[in-house]
Amino acid sequence: MNPGRLAFAAFIALALGMPLFAPQFWVTLGNYIGLYSIVALGLVLLTGVAGQTSFGQAAFVGLGAYTSAYLTTKYAVSPWFALAVGLAFTAAVALFLGFITLRMRGHYLPLATIAWGASLYYLFGNLEMLGGHTGMTGVPALSVFGFELRNERLYYYLIWGAALAALWSTNNLLDSRPGRAIRALKGGLEMAQAFGVNGARLKIVVFVYAALLAGLSGWLYAHLQRFVNPTPFGIHQGIEYLFMAVVGGAGSVWGAVLGATLITLLKQWLQEGGALMTVLRDGLQAVLPPSVVPSSNFELIMFGALLVVLLQRAPEGLWPWFARFVPRRKPPPIVPAEPLPQRATRPHEGALLQLKGARKAFGGLIAVNDLSFAIRPGEIVGLIGPNGAGKTTTFNLISGGLPLTSGEVVFAGQPIGGVPPWEIAALGIGRTFQHVKLIPMMSVLDNVALGAYLRGSTGVVSAALRLDRAEEARTRAEAARAIERCGLSAHLHDAAGSLALGKQRIVEIARALLAAPELLLLDEPAAGLRFLEKQELKALLRSLQAEGMTILLVEHDMDFVMDVTERLVVMDFGEKLAEGLPAEIQSNPQVREAYLGGVDA
Amino acid sequence: MKARFLPLLALALAGAVHADINVGVTLSATGPAASLGIPEKNTFEMLPTSIGGEKINWIVLDDASDTTRAVTNTRRLITENKVDVIIGSTITPNSLAMVDVVADAEVPMISMAASARIVDPANPKTRWVFKTPQSDSLMADAIAVHMKANGVATMGYIGFADAYGDGWLAEMKRSAQTAGIKVVAEEKYNRADPSVTGQVLKLVAANPDAILIGAAGTPGATPQKELVARNYKGKIYQTHGVANPDFLRVVGKDGNGTVLPAGPMLVYEQLPDSNPIKKVAAEYINAYEKKFGTRSTFGGHAWDSYLLLNATIPAALRKGKPGTKEFRAALRDALETATVVATHGVYVMTANDHNGFDNRARVMVRIVDGKWTLIK
Amino acid sequence: MDLSIAALLTQDGITNGAIYALLALALVLVFAVTRVIWVPSGEFVAFGTLTLAALQLGKTPGTVGLLVAMAVVAGAMEVIACVRTGETRRIPRSLLVWVGLPLAIAAAVYALAPLSAPLPVQVLATLAAVTALGPLMYRIAYQPLAEASVLVLLIVSVAVHFALLGLGLWFFGAEGSRTPPFSSFSFSVGAVHVNLQSLLVVATSVLLILALYLFFGRALYGKALRATALNRVGARLMGVSPNFAGSLTFTLASLLCAFCGVLIGPITTIYYDSGFLISLKGFVGAIIGGLASYPLAAAGAILVGLIESFSSFWASAFKEVIVFTLIIPVLLWRSLTTTHHEEDE
Repeated sequence: MNPGRLAFAAFIALALGMPLFAPQFWVTLGNYIGLYSIVALGLVLLTGVAGQTSFGQAAFVGLGAYTSAYLTTKYAVSPWFALAVGLAFTAAVALFLGFITLRMRGHYLPLATIAWGASLYYLFGNLEMLGGHTGMTGVPALSVFGFELRNERLYYYLIWGAALAALWSTNNLLDSRPGRAIRALKGGLEMAQAFGVNGARLKIVVFVYAALLAGLSGWLYAHLQRFVNPTPFGIHQGIEYLFMAVVGGAGSVWGAVLGATLITLLKQWLQEGGALMTVLRDGLQAVLPPSVVPSSNFELIMFGALLVVLLQRAPEGLWPWFARFVPRRKPPPIVPAEPLPQRATRPHEGALLQLKGARKAFGGLIAVNDLSFAIRPGEIVGLIGPNGAGKTTTFNLISGGLPLTSGEVVFAGQPIGGVPPWEIAALGIGRTFQHVKLIPMMSVLDNVALGAYLRGSTGVVSAALRLDRAEEARTRAEAARAIERCGLSAHLHDAAGSLALGKQRIVEIARALLAAPELLLLDEPAAGLRFLEKQELKALLRSLQAEGMTILLVEHDMDFVMDVTERLVVMDFGEKLAEGLPAEIQSNPQVREAYLGGVDA
Repeated sequence: MKARFLPLLALALAGAVHADINVGVTLSATGPAASLGIPEKNTFEMLPTSIGGEKINWIVLDDASDTTRAVTNTRRLITENKVDVIIGSTITPNSLAMVDVVADAEVPMISMAASARIVDPANPKTRWVFKTPQSDSLMADAIAVHMKANGVATMGYIGFADAYGDGWLAEMKRSAQTAGIKVVAEEKYNRADPSVTGQVLKLVAANPDAILIGAAGTPGATPQKELVARNYKGKIYQTHGVANPDFLRVVGKDGNGTVLPAGPMLVYEQLPDSNPIKKVAAEYINAYEKKFGTRSTFGGHAWDSYLLLNATIPAALRKGKPGTKEFRAALRDALETATVVATHGVYVMTANDHNGFDNRARVMVRIVDGKWTLIK
Repeated sequence: MDLSIAALLTQDGITNGAIYALLALALVLVFAVTRVIWVPSGEFVAFGTLTLAALQLGKTPGTVGLLVAMAVVAGAMEVIACVRTGETRRIPRSLLVWVGLPLAIAAAVYALAPLSAPLPVQVLATLAAVTALGPLMYRIAYQPLAEASVLVLLIVSVAVHFALLGLGLWFFGAEGSRTPPFSSFSFSVGAVHVNLQSLLVVATSVLLILALYLFFGRALYGKALRATALNRVGARLMGVSPNFAGSLTFTLASLLCAFCGVLIGPITTIYYDSGFLISLKGFVGAIIGGLASYPLAAAGAILVGLIESFSSFWASAFKEVIVFTLIIPVLLWRSLTTTHHEEDE
């Protein structure tokens, strides 16, 4: 058994064995830690991994708690039935809120979460049927097979059973097809969309997942406490959940458990910190008049101050620090598996890609001005021009990253202006980015595997339940083949962010290849490469061409472009300056003027 | 040799047999209810450390006005500190949440919160629960009687959007109905709202004969000052929640003429010497004011809970040793039959009334020239 | 509702909105330069009112003690930083700025407290004491984390907010305070009663907003700060120290908040924990302005004030529900109409 698993097994054994020997109060704290961990886990996924900050989780906890409290006290239904209703209700509310708020970008989202978190909280307090601010008493205890769980030690197993199941499924989810897509959301939607991920929809799915975990925690809370009132579901508690995730380390599922444990114990310790507080108080009394020194109330001050110090020492949270002592799990070996299904191609005639008067205006600035050119199947075409000529904008018009102002883009006989980028990706256009967009903490293998998103079908539920292993093996095998083909086998399991920038560009190519596109858009693929690496890249592009792939590339390295492309399109100030064979372009006086006499040659 | 060890041995045995009495306290010394919880906390610092010859350990925890923490504290006090009785919490939701825990553990509890729901005799779990403050209903009745006597036919209400305000609104509506007074407007506000202009304009537009402000501490001054600024000419009533000197400081001259019900300790100096409460209140307030400055009626609730224990622990000690189930049960039984003169009134506990207060626990007070004045 | 009630509600909404607007500006300012979402801004407002109230009562405000304690910590951090980088020559100057100046302010306020000085002097003392806390807080809590993500900076802000909340309870107690009005004069325009104090609040806010606008549009320091906001590395290359820019920003922002505190004190009662909701509403205004535009942030804050005022008339129990729910469509509209920037956080 490897040491990582051993550490994990030890944790499970400790967690499960604790109620058997520990004092009662430890069990009480353990229960709360479990409840908080479940909520924080949702935040790790939502905030830490997908990059969507939410202050509103406490309100979802409240939804779960109140639904069950209301149904069980007013209609005497079984708490288990109430759980199902509560989760359905939470999901419905989350779906609605997610639909309206997750469209928001940047800092609007956190504020929107504060806003609906606050309105739900005040709603709980003002609805008389929910007991108003005073709360609802008499929530029944849970029963399992007719046996009442009034004992905290027994309840502990229920809470931690739920927490471990949530940990397991979240961990599964992160290590899967949808998981890779979720990780890709953090750097903005552009990259994920280029591989067929409907980012906006996925965000909502993640949001609902996090809300469901919060609702589950709320249900457990209501039947543990057997009383609900609004205070535990307010904005301050919402902030505290975020606190737990960040302090623990929002990048890892274990950060949630660590954070919940740390914050709960820290508060408890500060409250009980008899010796510490006495020393503090005596110290203050030595320098200040006794009437000035409060009898206590240091807890909040100490809590805040300690957390500032802690975050200054560990801005990534505590888990990375702990993780050094837990040996990394060796990545599972890559076993040969049959390739993933190929994308279905549609037969078409004539040019593969055709731009007809494509125009992009940003306010008054026209970045691409009525550009027209066509690419035949199997061609390698270069798009060149001075900086700011509009080359990358043209790429974005083709891949759907930017909407056309006017004109038309036709791919394989189908107009794709106005088609969202994830659907364009599905039609068979793959791309790389001018500014490398990889997930730096994820391995090269996983980064490349993201490219296969469109060729797989595993959904969130089957991924969370680990029903995706067969497809996953095929994805990994195929990703490994693509990486080998691009000459990066040595870096298979390295974090993508640790590679030299030139190599990261090659990783992007491998990722694009995994989508098996018909048309490959490469944005400055040779930048940052050494001579030999450039030669390898040339060979790769030629062999791809031999397999029938069509390639459009933007590149500043003229030797490379002239060597590898069959035809060139030259742009300047958003317009097409010239088009032709490399040799013709080289001797074109206008092109020479643009490059040598241009403003920013 | 033997002689030297015997006393030690005896002491050790005595230690095992004569355990101290542990009293667990959870109160809201921080958070929104801090102005109530702090004087309570101060009071616990001045309590004697023995009752009936037994050492008492007061274990005081802060629940930050938060339900979850109140319950955690209660569990901790019961399981870690093996307390014989729990006092707290300061506010109604926290106390309600604690009822289940103490009932399961069979530990008597004395709440310091307002609502009569905490000791609702219809709920079997409240068998273990008592409370020291006057219930809202008792005070609301007093206001209704005073209104009726002063010719008030319609009234308006503005109160906290929290358990305190909700509780008062419900009780006041009931009392007003009994007295034949019509409640024509009800408004809510948050403790720290920077402005209550909207609510007050609406109240003034309804033009009731009197307005009751259901608030605790200095926030009670916000609607009152606004009402005065908007030229409201009717009578203004407050609840006993504002009975502290800070309220008088903040409300200033705008408070003059305000009427409120309060525990007699607030104006104990003005009580007739024949009133037994006067002596008890004087003793507490003199000690408190010497140490912490000015009086707060909330501190009195804490002191009264001590007085209850002081009266009942000796009886319970005869039935069982502290730390045992028998002692806790005996203490509960003793509490249920206790008759104690306290700072806020006279407790006459019965199986059906775990508060035990009657009309002696309320006096009507008017603010005159920035001072509390007993209405005789 | 008749016209005079509507006019009164509008007046009330604009007055509160003006307070929120000042806070919104402070938040925009701090965020633009340091990427910190400055949650504890509300505590600075409360400290402003409560410090002035303490001075009114002839008591030494706890702010003085906090100033001394923070100066000592900041001084120690500076000395350690100087020793680590080997710039020991800078120590005397650092100590003068980080310890000497705050101690001088603390001493002045301490001496002033029992004198029952005239109101303007006490206001000045309050502004000085509370403003001085700003740069010290930046130095102690935020400067060591200047490169951290927005999320981490936000969480640090919340931690600082907790600490200040505890300190506020310690210094000023749980009960609230008011300060005497600068003027109790009021006049009528038609049926509408206008309170001079409210007018003063609005006028001061407008002046401060204009001053900020000019500062960032015209003055050299303002431009330097803006440059830092756009590009930290670039600003450093241009000779603008991000740390200096950070402390300057926090000084300005805490001055704004202290002003708020002084202005709001006579209108309403302020408690040690009043700040959070006030800053939350200022934050809503700031966000409506996209955390970038001063006029839009101010307009957003006024909008919040108005919604709040009218909903407290119509349905006071559901006031907060209405305020926060109505914000969502506004936010949605803002987020859909602003141009898209890739989020690299």
